[in-house]
Amino acid sequence: MTKFELNGKPVSVDAPDDTPLLWVLRDDLMLTGTKFGCGIGECGACTVHVGGRATRSCITPLASIEGASITTIEGLDPDGNHPVQVAWRDGQVPQCGYCQSGQIMQAASFLKDFPHPTDAEIDAVMGGSLCRCMTYIRIRAAIKQAAGTTTHE
Amino acid sequence: MLKRIAAIAVALAVVAGGGFLIYAWNPAITPIARPNPAAFPHDAVARGEIVANAGYCVECHTRADLGGGPELAGDYKMNTPFGALFSPNITPDVETGIGTWSEAAFRRSMYRGVDRDGAHLFPAFPFNHFTKMSEQDISDLYAYLMTRPAVHMTHRANTLPFPFNLRILEAGWALLFVSPGRYQPDPSHDAMWNRGAYLAEGDAHCGACHTPRNLLMAEKSSAPYDGAVIDGWIAPPLNAHNPTPVVWTEDELFAYLRTGVAPLHGSAAGPMSPVAHRYLGRIPESDVRAIAHYFATMDDAAHRQFQDAAALAAALKASGRDLSGPQHDAAVRLYQGACAACHYNAGSAPVLGRPELALNNALWLDEPNNLYQVMLHGIGASEGQSGIAMPSFYAGLTDADMARIAAYLRATRTTLPPWTDLEAKAAKLRAAVGPPPINASH
Amino acid sequence: MSRLERIARQSDKAYAARHDLSRRGFLMTSLGAGLAFGFARSAEAAQHFPSAGTLPGGGAFEPNIWCAIAPDGSVNVNIIRAEMGQHIGTALARIIADEMEADWSQVGITYVDTDPKWGLMVTGGSWSVWMTWDVFRQAGAAARTVMVDEGAKILGVPADQCTARNGVVSAGAKSISYGDIVARAKPTRSFSPDEMAKLPLKPAGERRLIGQATTALDIPDKTTGRAVYGIDARLPNMLYGRPKLPPTRYGSKVQSVDDSEARKVAGYERYIVLEDPSGTVPGWVVVLATSYPAAIRATDALKVTWVAGDTAHVSEDDIIAHGRDLIGKPGGTRIFDDPGNAQAVASAHRTIEREYITTSVAHYALEPVNALARLDGDVWEIHCGHQWQSLWLPVMAKALQVPDGKVVMRTYMLGGGFGRRLGGDYAIPAALASKEIGGRPVKLVLTRSDDMQFDTIRSPSLQSIKAGLDEHGAISAMQYHVTAGWPTQVMAPAFMAKGLDNQPYDQFALSGADHWYETGPTLVRAISNDLANRTFCPGWLRSVSAGWTPWALECFVDEAAHESGHDPLDYRLSMLTAQGRNAGKAPSSIGGATRQAAVLKRVAEMAGWGRQLPPDTALGLATTFGQEREMPTWTAGVAQVHVDRKTGVVTCQKLWLVLDAGTIVHPDGALAQTQGAALWGLSMALFEGTRVEQGRLAAHNLDNYTPLRIADVPDMDIVFMENTEKPSGLGEPGVTVIAPAIGNAIFRAVGVRLRTLPMRPDDVLAALRDQTRS
Ligand code: FES
Ligand code: FES
Repeated sequence: MTKFELNGKPVSVDAPDDTPLLWVLRDDLMLTGTKFGCGIGECGACTVHVGGRATRSCITPLASIEGASITTIEGLDPDGNHPVQVAWRDGQVPQCGYCQSGQIMQAASFLKDFPHPTDAEIDAVMGGSLCRCMTYIRIRAAIKQAAGTTTHE
Repeated sequence: MLKRIAAIAVALAVVAGGGFLIYAWNPAITPIARPNPAAFPHDAVARGEIVANAGYCVECHTRADLGGGPELAGDYKMNTPFGALFSPNITPDVETGIGTWSEAAFRRSMYRGVDRDGAHLFPAFPFNHFTKMSEQDISDLYAYLMTRPAVHMTHRANTLPFPFNLRILEAGWALLFVSPGRYQPDPSHDAMWNRGAYLAEGDAHCGACHTPRNLLMAEKSSAPYDGAVIDGWIAPPLNAHNPTPVVWTEDELFAYLRTGVAPLHGSAAGPMSPVAHRYLGRIPESDVRAIAHYFATMDDAAHRQFQDAAALAAALKASGRDLSGPQHDAAVRLYQGACAACHYNAGSAPVLGRPELALNNALWLDEPNNLYQVMLHGIGASEGQSGIAMPSFYAGLTDADMARIAAYLRATRTTLPPWTDLEAKAAKLRAAVGPPPINASH
Repeated sequence: MSRLERIARQSDKAYAARHDLSRRGFLMTSLGAGLAFGFARSAEAAQHFPSAGTLPGGGAFEPNIWCAIAPDGSVNVNIIRAEMGQHIGTALARIIADEMEADWSQVGITYVDTDPKWGLMVTGGSWSVWMTWDVFRQAGAAARTVMVDEGAKILGVPADQCTARNGVVSAGAKSISYGDIVARAKPTRSFSPDEMAKLPLKPAGERRLIGQATTALDIPDKTTGRAVYGIDARLPNMLYGRPKLPPTRYGSKVQSVDDSEARKVAGYERYIVLEDPSGTVPGWVVVLATSYPAAIRATDALKVTWVAGDTAHVSEDDIIAHGRDLIGKPGGTRIFDDPGNAQAVASAHRTIEREYITTSVAHYALEPVNALARLDGDVWEIHCGHQWQSLWLPVMAKALQVPDGKVVMRTYMLGGGFGRRLGGDYAIPAALASKEIGGRPVKLVLTRSDDMQFDTIRSPSLQSIKAGLDEHGAISAMQYHVTAGWPTQVMAPAFMAKGLDNQPYDQFALSGADHWYETGPTLVRAISNDLANRTFCPGWLRSVSAGWTPWALECFVDEAAHESGHDPLDYRLSMLTAQGRNAGKAPSSIGGATRQAAVLKRVAEMAGWGRQLPPDTALGLATTFGQEREMPTWTAGVAQVHVDRKTGVVTCQKLWLVLDAGTIVHPDGALAQTQGAALWGLSMALFEGTRVEQGRLAAHNLDNYTPLRIADVPDMDIVFMENTEKPSGLGEPGVTVIAPAIGNAIFRAVGVRLRTLPMRPDDVLAALRDQTRS
């Protein structure tokens, strides 16, 4: 039994210690907003927050998050109105949408670290989140909207 | 944590010839009836608990494999190149533990590495440090251990072959390499320093991991705290040879030892993680502060610190290197995809929770071990910075990928010469991981 | 009973209850249902389906199969196209709603299951709007006609005095809403296709939704994790599967299987050696387990020995060499073969001949391919994201050995299509595995490396162009040979186009070469590279051949212009004369090459063609007609690049694009599609691409396949020509001009000509070295 907090509620899961958190979330806890893309930590589709920090769940073993607090896209905001989500809708960012949970989770945690992001900072941090539909222009714009800034370098 | 020290046992050349036999002989100490736990004063037990935590007793005296075992009941497996050693049960069980040990027997074992029967203990047991502990601390520790629940524990047998299994040889080793005797305060330093030194040199036995060993696996007295490899990790130098760009100040050391994370150096992972999280987190803050103070003096932080501001600025500049604008370098793209989202920093200081690799110990050590170990294992939420996790890239990065990232970071985030044989070293450490820590998710 | 068991039972009951009703009853279980405490791992869990959208309640009026108006005023539009990022439901619903004069806020969409009544269910080729435009306007007109007629009766005024606007019919001060009309008049009138075709349509000037800004209906759920993709599908009692893939795409045979190690994996159930009567997945083995991680691990542990097919050692170079061989021989299909072209080339003032290569490209749709299959009663249900149900449903039926009517496909959101999901090779193994275990649900998911190993890649291609130039340097004759693997030949031979002499050819491996330039007597010949077809399953990939034919043609045109001392812009304009076959036809290609000339001029103006730029920096130009002559989207692009002579790195600093796609239905969607398509073009030009080695793809995941990421994105300036012609497509044309524009810009920046795509720094360096040497 691995115990942790998920979207503010305590949960315990009976799955092998080395099960990637991604599959625990998707298949055991039925929170399918978190997606499987590459499985090797290089696309960001599976990004959730562990202790508030964006973390690739596809390569995070269940045992390693014992006691931690996990937030998924479903729990980012009770009404789906986190400023990043709002900016994403305003900017009509998603195309197929498959990468977007991960993008949004990454962006939300990014903005905590860099509240007034520059283009270089967006490149550096969002560079780990692949969007195969190539919505990058809108991702950049939405991040800036969410940050309440239009500052360019 | 100290598996590697067990290798000491195998290094006993036959230097310890028959001439030592007389020296080596120790009488058994008469067994006693198990003392009544209630007979030990509360304050002694409480003090003893601190002593136990400062010495990480649980770490080496609790089975870690096979799903774990009861605390202090031993059977912790230590691999040596020649076979396995299993640590003893130090709960007060009468048959399999130390229930029949008098305080004198216990003290002798701590000071001289000899068990109640008179047999020499393998120096995986770092009595070369414990010999420095005060009589009071030993007495309190005894009180603490004897008041633990007694656990009857069947141990696996050591698998050391002859002659390494001859405990008598340990006597010769001890004669050569252990100078028995309590810690002597250094009057040229203040009380805090002396307290730190007492703990570090004695109970906390820092040198057991951080001091390199000679051919006979004894700590090199000529190179105290120069750093050493242990269990495939590098216990970094704790003296002025520590290569990190920003020095380990007392504050950094304190934060690291107390919380598992030093903002300008990195997180406690691997064998060091429990030291911070399970043990030093539970002793008085002043003691941790004292240890930090002692090592900050040892690494000459005060005199080296003047470069820190420049080093910090350089690291933060290097942090964003290659990450903005189009990139075609394969290593950069790999780093960008796998690492940068969490490790990039900007501004005047790294964000806590965003370990800055340009400052990180792991990149500045002589070998890539620690960088690789962290890539392979990740860092759990209970390790490093509490509550956050680094994933395990065991399945995510091939040996070649790991080598590419390591070479790239070493070249662009440090000023040191390149590491060599990177792919082979990655393969070697990977092979030692045992069962992969995670399902290969391709 | 444990909490889990209780939940499982409840969901079973709920499932059974709904199941008896109708498929419409399958509504998504509320997310977070799984947020019970102390969940144990189990394959038995609540089902999970895509939302059925806004369904009209009872008593809805359905003038045709495409739309319905409910008594509460809500309007439903049935969408047979897959949603994969184009916001297609929004665009199509806007067409119908505009003609219907519906209240947009009341419009909802339903993505439907397969049913023969829908006709051809395919989503690809940038066809959706173009194909649906006429039908949906007629369908909307039918609904509007009935609303006005019935509304007039209720209001007691002649129909011709009524206007319909925003879901309300009014005459003077009197008005009534569509919902009330349906509720009161209960209309039942329906229209035959013939009757619909005769209905008067609104003139372009009265369009109120088409061409206006709106937000896409599919987007909100894609920001909250609520959108349901194929990989999210779930059924009670479901097993998870992962394929164990044979060494070659075709011809591998299983010799022996040893599952002794796999059996040590907790959760492993069994393996199945697939017998596939459809021949789609020869030599595949499927491993079943109670969880997906267990399936992954057991598949790794399973030992299978195969006799490999005969392509086990084929390399990319072999395929290109084979293509070269084929070009040198007779054969293939002629698309243009103007009389005397050979002679005209041979006797020209001078000739130039060039060869262009493109390497393998993977789809890497972010959602790895997957499908969930089960037998429900006597009907096979296939749940997955899919782009071409009409093609694959019969194949699935053949694989399962049941009549077509016994297979239904439920389409989910696609986590990227790009043509990958025009194939069905991932759904068939799920169905076959389920069949083997009596129809119990099997959810088969390919890991990323599985997905890439047998991706239906964009085939490597070789093109050879030879032109005769007259004394002024103008092209006076052309012979153009195109060879690559032919996806349509391999997967859908019946859909191949016919060239001259009625010879079939794969239009998706030729389109783009059949250009609108006046080039004198011209030969265009398409050749199937059979070695490619046998080594892998060639696929349709975003913009299909127009993703690579313009690479050759537009580079060649620049080379010819350069050789004869002309400006590339003027040179092109002089060939866009719109004469003969290039004059265009109403409705789709009306205007012909004049429209291509117009976008070209416009983009040149926008980019400031001819202006001075810093050293090693230049603009490059290209123009295309999107991808198909029958449905041209006139496209022109300029790239500004800088070349670093030391590292060979090409930086694309800015892209300008002008497109004429006729009427733009959903402007922001059109812009998004074009942004994405242009960046795909850039990605394939400079960043991605792999090779066939030992019969399979060298790349297997993002550590060695490197598509464009956010830091690589240049500035972009995109403009759509404004007109009211019939809309063509926009999903792909943005791709087509990018690679040649960059190739041409590199030449203008540093004087080296690259003829292999992608253009890597090493290629640039090698070319620069050659340049210094000569
Ligand atoms: S699926 Fe986890 S990073 Fe790609
Ligand atoms: S929106 Fe499709 S992958 Fe990003």
